[in-house]
Amino acid sequence: MSQPNRLASGGLIDRTRPLAFTFDGRTYSGHPGDTLASALLANGVTLVGRSFKYHRPRGVLTAGSEEPNALVELRTGARREPNVKATVAELYAGLEASSQNRFPSLAFDLLAVNQLASPVFVAGFYYKTFMWPAKLWEKLYEPLIRRAAGLGRAAEAADPDPYEKTTAHCDVLVIGGGPAGLAAALAAGRTGARVILADEDFALGGRLIAERRELGGQSAARWADEAEAELANLPEVTVLRRTSVLGAYDGGVYGAVERVSDHLREPAPHQPRQRFWRIVAKRAVLAAGALERPIAFGGNDTPGVMFAGAVRAYLNRYGVAPGRRAVVYANNDDAARTVADLNAAGCELVAVVDARGDSPALHAAARTAGALLVFGGAVARAYGGQSVKGCEIVDARGGSFNVACDLVAVSGGWNPTIHLTTHLGGRPQWRDDLAAFAPGGTPPGMTVVGAAAGAFGLGEALAAGAQAGAEAANDCGFSGGTFDPPRADDDSGETRGLGPWRVPAKRGKAFVDFQNDVTVKDVELAAREGFRSVEHLKRYTTLGMATDQGKTANVLGLALMAEITGRSIPATGLTLTRPPFTPVALGALGGAHRAKEFKPTRLPPSHFWAEEQGAVFVETGLWMRAAYFPRAGETDWLETTIREVETVRTKVGVYDASTLGKIDVQGADAGAFLDHVYINTFSTMPIGKARYGLMLREDGIAMDDGTVARLGETHYYVTTSTAHAASVMRHLEYCRQWLFPHLDVHLSSITDQWAKYAIAGPRSRDVVAALADDGFDVSDAGLPYLGVKELTVCGGTRARLFRLSFSGEMAFELAVPARYGDALIRAIMAAGEPFGICPYGAEALSVMRIEKGHAAAAELNGQTTAADLGLGGMMSKKKDCIGKVLSQREGLADPARPRLVGFKPVDRSQRLRGGAHFVPRGAAVTAANDEGYMTSVAYSPSNGCWVGLGFLARGQERIGEIVRAVDPVRDGDVEVEVVAPVFVDPEGVRVRG
Amino acid sequence: MRIPCPYCGVRGLDEFAYLGDATLIRPDPAAPGAEAAFHDYVYLRDNPAGLHRELWQHASGCQSWLVVTRDTRTHAIGRVEVARDVAAARGSGAE
Amino acid sequence: MAEPLVARSALRPHVAPHASAAGAHGVTLREVENLTLASVAALRGREAELVQAVRAAYGLDLPTGPARVASGKVAFVGAGPGKWLAVSSAPTEFSTLPAAVADQSDGRTVLRVSGPKARETLATLIQLDLHPRTFGPGDAAMTHAASIAVHLWQVDDAPTYEIATFRTFAATLWRWIVEAGQARGLDARAED
Ligand SMILES: [Zn+2]
Repeated sequence: MSQPNRLASGGLIDRTRPLAFTFDGRTYSGHPGDTLASALLANGVTLVGRSFKYHRPRGVLTAGSEEPNALVELRTGARREPNVKATVAELYAGLEASSQNRFPSLAFDLLAVNQLASPVFVAGFYYKTFMWPAKLWEKLYEPLIRRAAGLGRAAEAADPDPYEKTTAHCDVLVIGGGPAGLAAALAAGRTGARVILADEDFALGGRLIAERRELGGQSAARWADEAEAELANLPEVTVLRRTSVLGAYDGGVYGAVERVSDHLREPAPHQPRQRFWRIVAKRAVLAAGALERPIAFGGNDTPGVMFAGAVRAYLNRYGVAPGRRAVVYANNDDAARTVADLNAAGCELVAVVDARGDSPALHAAARTAGALLVFGGAVARAYGGQSVKGCEIVDARGGSFNVACDLVAVSGGWNPTIHLTTHLGGRPQWRDDLAAFAPGGTPPGMTVVGAAAGAFGLGEALAAGAQAGAEAANDCGFSGGTFDPPRADDDSGETRGLGPWRVPAKRGKAFVDFQNDVTVKDVELAAREGFRSVEHLKRYTTLGMATDQGKTANVLGLALMAEITGRSIPATGLTLTRPPFTPVALGALGGAHRAKEFKPTRLPPSHFWAEEQGAVFVETGLWMRAAYFPRAGETDWLETTIREVETVRTKVGVYDASTLGKIDVQGADAGAFLDHVYINTFSTMPIGKARYGLMLREDGIAMDDGTVARLGETHYYVTTSTAHAASVMRHLEYCRQWLFPHLDVHLSSITDQWAKYAIAGPRSRDVVAALADDGFDVSDAGLPYLGVKELTVCGGTRARLFRLSFSGEMAFELAVPARYGDALIRAIMAAGEPFGICPYGAEALSVMRIEKGHAAAAELNGQTTAADLGLGGMMSKKKDCIGKVLSQREGLADPARPRLVGFKPVDRSQRLRGGAHFVPRGAAVTAANDEGYMTSVAYSPSNGCWVGLGFLARGQERIGEIVRAVDPVRDGDVEVEVVAPVFVDPEGVRVRG
Repeated sequence: MRIPCPYCGVRGLDEFAYLGDATLIRPDPAAPGAEAAFHDYVYLRDNPAGLHRELWQHASGCQSWLVVTRDTRTHAIGRVEVARDVAAARGSGAE
Repeated sequence: MAEPLVARSALRPHVAPHASAAGAHGVTLREVENLTLASVAALRGREAELVQAVRAAYGLDLPTGPARVASGKVAFVGAGPGKWLAVSSAPTEFSTLPAAVADQSDGRTVLRVSGPKARETLATLIQLDLHPRTFGPGDAAMTHAASIAVHLWQVDDAPTYEIATFRTFAATLWRWIVEAGQARGLDARAED
């Protein structure tokens, strides 16, 4: 397992520890400190993937998160992750990676014939080539394209690893751990301010560890080490390595992802794979550095063509020679550094091509390296297929010649990494002196320093970082503790890329966006066809899309469009970016709470008992409610539900009503307040009484219903529907605080305080009598229908007893403090046993409320008024209430509106369906003939047939009429008889028994 | 976005529930033209680019309704007042 | 007559499992049982009367902000403008106060989270800044833990936090704290 391209010495790798890994099934060896990319290059592997559209062979272009080419599938099985940048993936023992987007193998890819078909795949091919016939799109074109063009494969199994979200607060957030960021963190941290330093790399230092530089008389990498050690000892400083700050949000909030375990084969027990950080920072220092950019020349995507800065990173940080015979091609002074580093590493320098005129800095470097020096020339073309074998160089006079090489180090200049400055709408500014975009507006509280601000010199980056860090801490009230940056070995390096942006390609494709296979020709085509704005260019050619979002491509694409259209770059436009800066796993955004723990689960007090009974549960909002309690021998829910309903109607049943929202209302003006929010009047209701209440929205539509009980002169107890408990509470607080601020009224949610059981049926009084302590009168005289009393049960437990019925039977609601809820359901069952009691669930409750015509969520559906519900008579004429004025407007008061009525199938054996629409008999099934819809249906044991509730135009005037209930979705078409919306005990005798 | 609740301190957006324009005043239901006034009150909204006084509830905190002045262009939060104090001061309410 | 009813916690083992890491415990989780809790709201125009009554009965000055004051077994925790949560570790009749008082002894479950990793554990659920420079003993806050509404206060510098949540959310909150604490040396038992 030799590493032929590993240099004999140097680099920040642990050469004492070999790490075995596989790529496309072959085993290689690297070291701790390697990325997958550096380890592959050390092993002489330059062909890493195939391109998106043309399946062109691709290698490693960069040494960072901007990598567009070297995307691999990492890991296998459920942990397989596509589109991982080999330049970021940290090597670990046993790492398994494979190339993607190739068939059948990386070296022999059949679909590389796409290149021959490239006229088909030019920009806009989606829009043009497959326009007609459209019916072939789904069956032919799309599958073909998806097979041919694409990136990696997602894992097909659920992600087995945990994720975590956390929040951190700090005075100063420093984004980027290069020279400027380290200086900022030290300067801020020494004041005692709370500082977070985040860097996406696993090692701090940025370019300090990628270059051979000196700081304060020692190697820059050593200085970075010492800086990190000091930061680790400052108690209020947190250093987050492997952490990408992805977005800037309002109010000084930043999102970041820490790759906690991505550098391990799998996470340690209980450790997350990744951790999402929500960072709240008073000040931020953006020290994100700069990204090198390409020059467009023929074959510039050939493996072995690499950014010059990346070449230096592989040489210096990883001790890897990405090639042995190099051509350096640049339009800035970075070329000198590249030449010197390659020479120092023992690589042969074939030629140095500087696109500019004469450059003194380069003379010395080239002479030392013995390289052919070409000023004012260009690399016109790189060739070699799967790895570069040579390139064609054009000199200043237009003469051209070929040289053999296995590495072309290219630098088209540097773009400040300004993405985070634009997330809140800051508009970058083009600076001619940098030939790049620099930050324009920044998010409030953010300072940009170093290369990200266009200050490319090491000394100026350190100074600006130190100053910004100190100022940010001062702004937060911290002072003292100083940091004087070390002296840097600054040369007068000229790093702006002054063009050319491209070389007229004689042969071969010149790529602008490597990941999307967008070439110079595509940009030209877009310009010819009128897609000249940068936004149109992006949509038409896909330039700047996909996982790298054009980090290396956008400025080049823009410059080319400017050149083609004869405009300046700023006049051509700019591409703003949105979060995230780099792709983020959905798992990290989801965090720890997923699947069953996505939301809280609320368990009513009888839950454990109900589980013991074998209840089947149904989710209602956050609640788990018992839907029905099957018994041995019962075969389906309907059979069980019918038995439960019949038991309640003939004997007695018990239901856990604890999930209803409960609100304690107190204060001298409690009654007046309730009069404002309900359509009916509660201020005059006697103490010890309860009544049904309906509240409206201000637009006149019904909002929620429930019961209101008066416990004392200034004390009421209100229930809401289970689903609307929280929104009703919010509405009531709105009314209390904003609409009626002078009222003395106080609201307290007591939903969870009370366990409440509905005991319903002809024998319910017997059950209550058995539970009530001595001396409590449960007779009709002692507690009449709609009465409320406090009492004690079971030997001293305080309780509230309400004579209320939702089922239509004589019924009581018995409430005790929730801690006794479990014991009380067991006591009720024991007390009811002699009377044949059974528990009933939400299904039986629903059947019985439909049989009684009580409205529920399906009827209070956000479209219905009190009058629609048949409750118009409840509205007090003597007072105003929320929604009263608008409920009386023309449209809502229209007597032709659909009104709540009941329905039975004419053929009593037929089943009804909720959602069916009513049309007159003999009329066509059209929207014009639509007269309303069915809201709730149930099989009624009492009626021996299905019954339904629904809204029918002028329904109350049409009792006895027959209409069609049409359900086109399920092919339902049933003739139904319009009946009064009460199917059991229409006189209401039973509840008063 | 972070909103300074006068009672609780500065909290993240996710603790707050938005309602809307805080300059709207519930009309007098007994006044002539009440129906038209209520129509405007319920349905008509301006959409200003700039400062907007709006109602938020600190729903995951102290339950206070707040009148928040926000710049709709930048989400910069200006003054935050307790809605009940604002309402009481202007003498609104249906009494 | 029926048998006396037995009180039960909302935290049964199968919905709020115990967990204990080997080695040093970074964070300890317990339920605080048998508290008397009540929401207390000052009646309009009678605010001063309530302040006097609390001072007379418990020797406490009601906090005007999100803070907790305690004396002996009784504490009052700010719960919003003019509102408090009264807490007592002994049976206490708060309903005699001149205020709108609602019993919450069963409406809330109180969890106690303490230890050197308590802050880090809670940071995965609660977005508040619990750093000692901004939140210390006697401070209180209402917020949410992930999506669960909580009312919490700091008791001591251990640090120890008490977290009141609606009873029916307590089991989920328990599981979420256990999940976050397991990587941080958790010791979680519903009762000591
Ligand atoms: Zn608040």
